[in-house]
Amino acid sequence: MTTSVDVIEVLGPGCARCFETLRVVRHVVDEAHLPCLVQKDESLERMAELGVMRTPAVAFDGKVVLSGRIPRAQEVRQLLGLA
Amino acid sequence: MTSLADPSTTTGGAGTGAAARGAHNPWPGVALAGLLWTAAYSVVEPLSRWISHGLFGLPRGSHVGEAVAFFFYDVPKILLLLSGMIFIITVVRSFFSAERARRVLSGKRVGLGNVLAATLGIVTPFCSCSAVPLFIGFVESGIPLGVTFSFLIAAPVINEVALVLLFGMFGWRVAGLYVASGLAIAIVTGLVLGKLHLERYVEEFVWRTSFRDGHDETGELSWQERFSQARQAVGEILVKVWAYVLVGIGVGAAIHGYVPADALAGYMGKDGPWWSVPLVVLAALPLYSNAAGMAPVLQALVEKGAALGTALAFMMAVVGVSLPETILLRRVLKPQLIAIFVGVVTVAIVLTGYLFNALL
Repeated sequence: MTTSVDVIEVLGPGCARCFETLRVVRHVVDEAHLPCLVQKDESLERMAELGVMRTPAVAFDGKVVLSGRIPRAQEVRQLLGLA
Repeated sequence: MTSLADPSTTTGGAGTGAAARGAHNPWPGVALAGLLWTAAYSVVEPLSRWISHGLFGLPRGSHVGEAVAFFFYDVPKILLLLSGMIFIITVVRSFFSAERARRVLSGKRVGLGNVLAATLGIVTPFCSCSAVPLFIGFVESGIPLGVTFSFLIAAPVINEVALVLLFGMFGWRVAGLYVASGLAIAIVTGLVLGKLHLERYVEEFVWRTSFRDGHDETGELSWQERFSQARQAVGEILVKVWAYVLVGIGVGAAIHGYVPADALAGYMGKDGPWWSVPLVVLAALPLYSNAAGMAPVLQALVEKGAALGTALAFMMAVVGVSLPETILLRRVLKPQLIAIFVGVVTVAIVLTGYLFNALL
């Protein structure tokens, strides 16, 4: 399986919900053996740059696709075009 | 300003929306869940009496019998109320977002802006970890500092778990009073903080940051997605609070069964010493996240003579001033402003406690 996304960013100040989001995203990426880079970003500047006001947020190649809640794995698969 | 319909910012939301919309009609499922909920809620009381007096054979009117019946009545009742009401609250909140609040509030004046901000603070879904990015987003779009604070105070002070528990244990009057006083505190505190011109105590980088209009899927979610988010929220909250609810109700049950009536009237009652309100508020400040466990204890205390205003002040201090949120805010606010912020909110909560003790 493959996707056109190169970099997945999980944005959040480092609370439990952000780590849970990172776990879900990592799980989907590992399961599908995707080549994308998964990053956790806690910088406020980056959040401002992407317009993130609700965390946790997920961005694909610098574009926010989800914010303010922990996604389900199936949702991440859909967003990545896997399902 | 980007509109809700701008495809460039909403691709992700629209994509999942279209996929989910094709699935099935969510309403029969919700209706069935509602029926089951009503049925379960109506058997809680008879069942609790049967368990304690029938199954365990504890005599009615005895200390232990009263305590056990109280426990088996309150635990399922509170958990059911939490599930049902958090579901409804989350569905309502799925129509609001921080991005929307920001659009509504930018360009609003001090005064009306504070009232709107406090109101939006209640209905907008908000996690204390979002306090910092939200603060930057608000301030950067020209929303005055005091208006931003009204929002940031209302959101945690009027806590949905606390609201449901107060409703379940004290009824709608006290729950309404809690919302009204939370609103008043958020509006007044925001106005006071705005008057103090504290902009110099905001970290400099905040003013230099440019904040892009963000992703907002709120307007285009299907009902199925709203319900599914609500189910998820109920699950998250139940997992987080069930242990606190059990412990809180356990302690409450013990007080209910064993502490003599009016034992507390002298210390925490209406005619108790003046320092009882500030004392309980100060004691509550570091107790964040135990809101779910606090309400049952409060109910038992009120039953034994503690004044309601003192109890409500305690509740608001527990949920409203959270240590984790304060630590996060330190990234954008200088220590002086953090201290003023906590101080003003604390004073406002204490005054509300006195007010209710005088009125009720």
